Amino acid sequence: MASAEVRQIAAQELGVGGTGFAPRMLRGRAAMRLLSAERSEEIFPVLLEEIVSLGFPRAFAYEVDLESGEIAPTAALNCSKNFLKGCATSLWAGDDPVVKTLERMQPEITKVSWDKNSWYVHPLIFRNQHLCWEAERDRRRDCLAVLNSQHARKLQLQEQVCGTCDMRAYVAAVMVEVPAGMQDRLAREIPGIVELANRYLSRLFKVEHYYNRMRDMETTIGQMETVMESMADPVILTDTHYRVIMQNRAAEKFFKMPEGVSEGGARAVEFNNLLFSAALSSMAISGTEASRDLTLVDVQEGEEVLFEAVCAPTYTREGIRTGMVTVMRDVTDLRRADQELRDNLIKLQQAEEVVRQDRDRLNVVIENVGDPIVVADKGAKVVLLDPLAKDVFGVDGAQQSDPELVKNQAKLDAYLTSFTFSFADRDSGPLRLYQPSSGGEVEYEARSGKVYDARGQVAFTVTVLRDFSAWKKLEQLKLERRMLEMEKFAATGRMAGTIAHEINNPMEAIKNAIELLNGQVKPKAEPVYSILKGETERVARIVRQMLGLYRSSERVGTMDVNSVVDDTLTLFARQLERAGITVTTDLGQLPPVTGSADQLRQVLSNLVVNARDSMAEGGRLRLRTRHLRSSDGVHGWVRITLVDSGSGIPANVLPTMFEPFVSTKGEKGTGLGLWIVKGIVESHGGKIRVRSIMGQGTLFQIEFPVVRA
Amino acid sequence: MNKRKYKLLVVDDEPSVLFTYRLLLEREGYVVAAVVSWREAVRELAESRFDMVLCDLSLEEQHSGFEVIEEARRRQPGAPCVLLTGYANVEAAQHAEKINVPVLYKPIDVKEFLTTIATVLRDTYAEAKTGSGR
Repeated sequence: MASAEVRQIAAQELGVGGTGFAPRMLRGRAAMRLLSAERSEEIFPVLLEEIVSLGFPRAFAYEVDLESGEIAPTAALNCSKNFLKGCATSLWAGDDPVVKTLERMQPEITKVSWDKNSWYVHPLIFRNQHLCWEAERDRRRDCLAVLNSQHARKLQLQEQVCGTCDMRAYVAAVMVEVPAGMQDRLAREIPGIVELANRYLSRLFKVEHYYNRMRDMETTIGQMETVMESMADPVILTDTHYRVIMQNRAAEKFFKMPEGVSEGGARAVEFNNLLFSAALSSMAISGTEASRDLTLVDVQEGEEVLFEAVCAPTYTREGIRTGMVTVMRDVTDLRRADQELRDNLIKLQQAEEVVRQDRDRLNVVIENVGDPIVVADKGAKVVLLDPLAKDVFGVDGAQQSDPELVKNQAKLDAYLTSFTFSFADRDSGPLRLYQPSSGGEVEYEARSGKVYDARGQVAFTVTVLRDFSAWKKLEQLKLERRMLEMEKFAATGRMAGTIAHEINNPMEAIKNAIELLNGQVKPKAEPVYSILKGETERVARIVRQMLGLYRSSERVGTMDVNSVVDDTLTLFARQLERAGITVTTDLGQLPPVTGSADQLRQVLSNLVVNARDSMAEGGRLRLRTRHLRSSDGVHGWVRITLVDSGSGIPANVLPTMFEPFVSTKGEKGTGLGLWIVKGIVESHGGKIRVRSIMGQGTLFQIEFPVVRA
Repeated sequence: MNKRKYKLLVVDDEPSVLFTYRLLLEREGYVVAAVVSWREAVRELAESRFDMVLCDLSLEEQHSGFEVIEEARRRQPGAPCVLLTGYANVEAAQHAEKINVPVLYKPIDVKEFLTTIATVLRDTYAEAKTGSGR
């Protein structure tokens, strides 16, 4: 700008105060000096110098601290320190003429308390006739500079903050000593120059305010950047075209092409950007906050990372969209955990379903067992009763008034306690319980098992009560039928025996008579005589065998198998000894067997005789008895095993050996022995088995059923 | 051969059987008294002395061969006896063994019948002979 023009502008601006009195040169110089001030602090010193150069002896500037209300000199010319100290005052000193002038905001010459001379007081405040550009742009009328300049008014301290730009105004006063005779000169020269200085000061002040705001903003931006960088999650600022304006390091890992990246890496980055832009554009439509899942590739680690991108649009003060802020949260682990939780839930539901089905099935089983069932806990306390059990013991936990049911409960408790605290896994025992439905007592068989927990401790016991009386009745019926069979067999045997007995005496006479005829028959009749003799002897043997079945008054009862074995062996002891046969017995503990002791003796006699006959050269005969228990704990068998070391039974005979009139003994045998044995065993409900090896011996095994009472 | 003829008492309630026993024994050279009842047997025992008594187990009127044997042994302690029977229950067999009476089961093999009698007589009287010096 040319200095002539500058001068002209300065001259125009000086037109505020009285014009045309001050020498042009001087005013031009002052305006130029003030204009060249770069900082607000430079204005007062320049102004004071110009005032003094106009011939005024002393001048200084006050500044008002708007917060504390202190009024203190900030710049001075030709004033001693002590003088200045004495000048300091405060807005609250209402009587001070200087303060009064300040409040009125009108320059005037006044007497002061701290000097004998009068002083010119020119109050200054931040003001301008034009709106600042910010207020202009925002179309606001509350620009403080304009408000302060519109009309002269009293100082309003509380209003000295700009409603548009938050700027705090300044309030100051220029003080000029007015010696006698200088009033006219002062009125001519000073107000104009001070007003000019104030205009420059206001402009500089405004610029400095903007500079400060810029500095503040930079600080804020710096802080924001730090915040962004310190976030572990990627944060991206994009413009309205989804171009990245700013992103933090966490985001750069995915969206910024690293140096020396491989082709694959570069493609991954490009792909990430593409995905991100697509996600942004779809989210931007909503205009508010939106979120979306996004799978990106970590270029350095080469791993896929699942993000949840939360996106918020940014706007200007006028509501124009400027872009978007996107924060991405790594939810890979979260989603994985979520998926695992989901999977586990499904597994759990499936397991629950299986358990539920098992339980339903079990319930159906329990309902259809038809026996009372009791479930108790580890303390032998009943936790579950099925409907049948409730009939017998009453509803669980309820106070029982029926003394019979109380008695039933006591019996059950005693049983459960002894079982629960025993070492047995399972147990059974009789329980005689009152039956409310029939009004009588029923004998139950309690069968119990333990359910263990994972630590092997008893968790529950389950007890099933079987109506033993019904079962017993059935067993009794079975037994009776078997006894009937035995009786029938015995009766048949008795009949055969009786017939044999009756035949026996005539047979004896015939046999003896034939013997007496020996040597007296004619030679021609010899063959006939020998047929007579041989066949008679055969009939005699059959009769002898059948005689064994003859029992006068034997009834079916219970027998002690071991003592029958002993009896039989005693009977044959001498014969066996003579035949060179050693006998060993191994008799186990046996329960009583229902049947006929005499018939069993017949069975054992026949088998012992057979064994003896098969050991012509002597040998060993072993007898063993055992009680075989069945798994139900009630039924069982008594087994008699008889082993000889004789010649054995030929294989071709084995299939038919129990049929009548089959014999290996030729002339000596009748073929009835084993048939009778089988008949007796089967009539007892028993079984007979045989194993034989030629030349080594034969084993007979007989089993009789036993039932625990 | 035997210079002395042994005298035997045979008791059986079946006359035909008794008859054949007598014939068989007489053929062997024994002197035989054969009776069909306990009553007659007791009378015979009272009248004469027998070297041996052969007796059926079941006799008439619920009498038993053991009664005859007891009577014989009462009169002549240690008299040799043999029990003949079609059928003997365990108690009878054990009782016979206890009082040292052999049991022969009908139908009796004739050879066994005669051998048993001869053996018992020899065992009894051979000892007695040497013992008495006869």
